[in-house]
Amino acid sequence: MPRVQREANVTWEGNVARGNGEISAATGAFDALPYSLATRIGSPEGKTSPEELVAAAHAACFARSLAGELAGAGSAPEHLDVRAVVTLDEVEDGSHRIVASELHARARVKDVDGEKLERLAVGASEGCPLTKLIEASAKVTVNATLEGESDGD
Amino acid sequence: MATERKADVSWEGDLMSGKGRIDSVTSGAIGGLDVSWRARSEEAGGDTSPEELIAAAHASCFSMALSNGLAQAGHAPQELKTSATVTFQPPEGITKIVLEVAGKVPGIDNDAFQQAAEAAKENCPVSKALAGVPDVSLNARLES
Repeated sequence: MPRVQREANVTWEGNVARGNGEISAATGAFDALPYSLATRIGSPEGKTSPEELVAAAHAACFARSLAGELAGAGSAPEHLDVRAVVTLDEVEDGSHRIVASELHARARVKDVDGEKLERLAVGASEGCPLTKLIEASAKVTVNATLEGESDGD
Repeated sequence: MATERKADVSWEGDLMSGKGRIDSVTSGAIGGLDVSWRARSEEAGGDTSPEELIAAAHASCFSMALSNGLAQAGHAPQELKTSATVTFQPPEGITKIVLEVAGKVPGIDNDAFQQAAEAAKENCPVSKALAGVPDVSLNARLES
């Protein structure tokens, strides 16, 4: 497999409390997204944050990994809905850490029961390179249900 | 106080020929972004990828931490321009991140700027979460 590079660019003006920045992707997939401290830790008001981008990355990584696991088990999914919820929290020394990423998947897939789906989802999370990385600071949890079944929460 | 941010992604089909989409996120700032294995591992073709999103997360987190460190030292930046370049090597994952920052910071000397940039690289929450990346380097340049 080839080495792949992906780049993003950020500009920031001012101090952290009142300053603000913009985030752009080198591919052009997103451009000049505003962000700030107030909206990072409080109400987002339409502005993204580093943690939201980590959630998007983790959800995308897990979704494609689960598609791979299901296809490998002979049941490529018709449709997957995946959600990642990332939590930033203050830790004992007063600094902030990404402490959790919860992965949820809902699958429309033939010939797979709930138990097998759960098992494949756990494997998909472990097989997603980002899970391994962010476990340096975050607890990663996985839950998966078949479309049409109650997800238990 | 804990802060949650959520992202929703849908995927159809298998890994190699299937495709996914980042449908929505808590803030609504991004949505309807296509992701695919081809875009991730070959030519991007305008699609984003987990690695590009991590680059965006890291560059934004680093910039914020650096602005905070500089302001605490009495030198709030006029402007910081940061890029993060993430190298993805399947199947291991992310093997390298290069952070580059150019700062306009009134009244600071280069040593203090380098020190603040190094501290931001070590301590921002995304850096902590990505502590397992084998090679994270920093190139900080003070502009007059």
